[in-house]
Amino acid sequence: MIKLKYILALFFIFSFVGCSGNSGNWGWYVIDPTTKSGLANIKFLVGGFGATILLSLIAALISIILGLIVALPSFSNNVFFRSLNRIYVEFIRAIPLLPMLFWVFYGLPVIFQSLGLKIQIDAFWGAVITLAISDSAFTAEIYRAGIQSISKGQREAAQTIGLTQYQAMRYVILPQAIRRILPPLANQFIYIVKMSAFASVIGMQELTRRANEIVVTEYRPLEIYTLLILEYLILVLVISFGVRWLERKLGSDESNSN
Amino acid sequence: MKEVIDINNVSKYFGKFKALDSVNLRVMRGQKVVICGPSGSGKSTLVRCINRLEEHDEGDIKVLGNFLTNDRLCLDSIKSKVSMVFQQFNLFPHLSVIENLTLGPIKALGISKKEAMKRALYFLERVKIPEQAFKKPNLLSGGQQQRVAIARALCLEPEIMLFDEPTSALDPEMIAEVLEVILDLANDGITMVVVTHEMGFAKKAADKIIFMDEGKILEENIPSNFFKNPKTHRSKKFLDQVLNH
Repeated sequence: MIKLKYILALFFIFSFVGCSGNSGNWGWYVIDPTTKSGLANIKFLVGGFGATILLSLIAALISIILGLIVALPSFSNNVFFRSLNRIYVEFIRAIPLLPMLFWVFYGLPVIFQSLGLKIQIDAFWGAVITLAISDSAFTAEIYRAGIQSISKGQREAAQTIGLTQYQAMRYVILPQAIRRILPPLANQFIYIVKMSAFASVIGMQELTRRANEIVVTEYRPLEIYTLLILEYLILVLVISFGVRWLERKLGSDESNSN
Repeated sequence: MKEVIDINNVSKYFGKFKALDSVNLRVMRGQKVVICGPSGSGKSTLVRCINRLEEHDEGDIKVLGNFLTNDRLCLDSIKSKVSMVFQQFNLFPHLSVIENLTLGPIKALGISKKEAMKRALYFLERVKIPEQAFKKPNLLSGGQQQRVAIARALCLEPEIMLFDEPTSALDPEMIAEVLEVILDLANDGITMVVVTHEMGFAKKAADKIIFMDEGKILEENIPSNFFKNPKTHRSKKFLDQVLNH
C-alpha cells in the first residue's frame, strides 16, 4: 500500500511539472471558450447532448413497455409461459451490447432485404432498438422482483374480499409494486444513458461520436475525453438527483401521510 | 339447522408431508366452531381449505351447498360469502382504512361507492374505531389493525367468517380488545370457524371445539366437556400446557 502511495505521488508530481512547463503535454486551448476555435469545439461537443438524451429516452420508453410484456408471462401458473420469460431474459442478457448493435445495424437489414421488405435502419433507430431490447431483459427482471416482493398475504386478502385475479393485480398488487419498481427502473435509465455511447461506433452523432471526431482533427484526446466524461457526469448526476427525489416522494407516501 | 360447511375425508399434502389426514367436519348455520391444537397440527391448513386458499388433495368439501373444485363459477359463487381474518391482518398498506373496507364491496359485489362508504362506517363503528377511517393502516396499533381487518371482512356481509389465529400476532393488551369484538359478532348469529389458542374465548363463544394434532381431528366436543374431561391423552396434555401457563 505504501509503495502505491509513492507511485501515485510521483505520478502527480510529474503531471504538474508537465502542466507548469510548456512542454506541450497539455493543450486545454482546444476547449478554451475564450478563443474562437475553442468555443466552436465546445459547441460541437455539447451539441451531442440532444441526440444522447433523445436516444436514451426513446430506448428507455420502449424498454419499459417491452420489459412489462416480457415480465407478464413469469406470473403465469403455466410452465410454458414462465419458460418463455426465462428464455428471453437469459438469452438477451447474455448478449454483449456491442455485438448486438452490429447485428441489428449490419445484420438485420440483410434479413429484411431477403424477405423483400424495404425497411431501412439508420444509426439512430439501430441504436434505439438495440438499447431497448438489451435493456428490456433487465427491466423485465425489475418488474418481476417488484411484483413478487409484495407478500403472499396481500394476494390472499384480495382473494378473500372477492376480487378476481385481475382486480387483485390492478387494485392491490400493482399500486404497491410500482413504488418498489420505479426507483430501480429510473436507475436503469442511467445505464441506458451510459450505454448509448456505443451508438458512436455505428456513426450516430451523439456525445461520444462528436468527441471522437474532434479528437481526430485536433489530436488532443486527453482534454476532449475529459470534457466528454464531464458531460456524462453532469447528465447522470441530474438523472440520479431526479431518482432520489422520486424515491423520497414514493417513500414518504408509503410510510406516513393520511 | 342447515349445514353450511361439510368436510368429508379430506387430506392435503405439502410434498410428502401430510398436513391433513382424512378430516371430517360439519358446521351448521350459526354455529361457532373453535379449532385448537399444537402448532403444525393442520388447523390453519384446514380453514384455508374452506375458502380455497389451499386446494385439498383428497375428499370433498362442500361450502354453502357447493362442492369446492377448480370450477371458476363455483368458486365465484362462494367467494364473497366466505370471509377471512388473518393472523398478520393483511391490510392493504397503500389504501386508507375506509378504502380497505370499501374495495371489496365496490369491486366484487358491485355496490355503489356511497352505499359502500355507509356500510364501511357502520362496521367501523361496530369494531369501535370510526375515528380512524381516513388514516393509513400502518398508523394504527396492532389491535386496531386487526379490528379493521375484521370490519373489512364484515363489509362483504359474508355468511361464514373464518379466523386464522386472529390474536397470535398481537401484544397481550390488544388481544382483549380484538376478542371482545369477535365475541360481539358471535352473538350476532353469523357462522364462525376460529383457529385460536385463547381457551377463555373458546369457553365463552364456542358451540363446538375441535382438537387437532398431526393433521387429524382427535376430538370434537362441546366446550364444557372438552375442558372438564378431554377424551384423549393428547388433548389432556395440550390443555394442561395451555391452561397452566
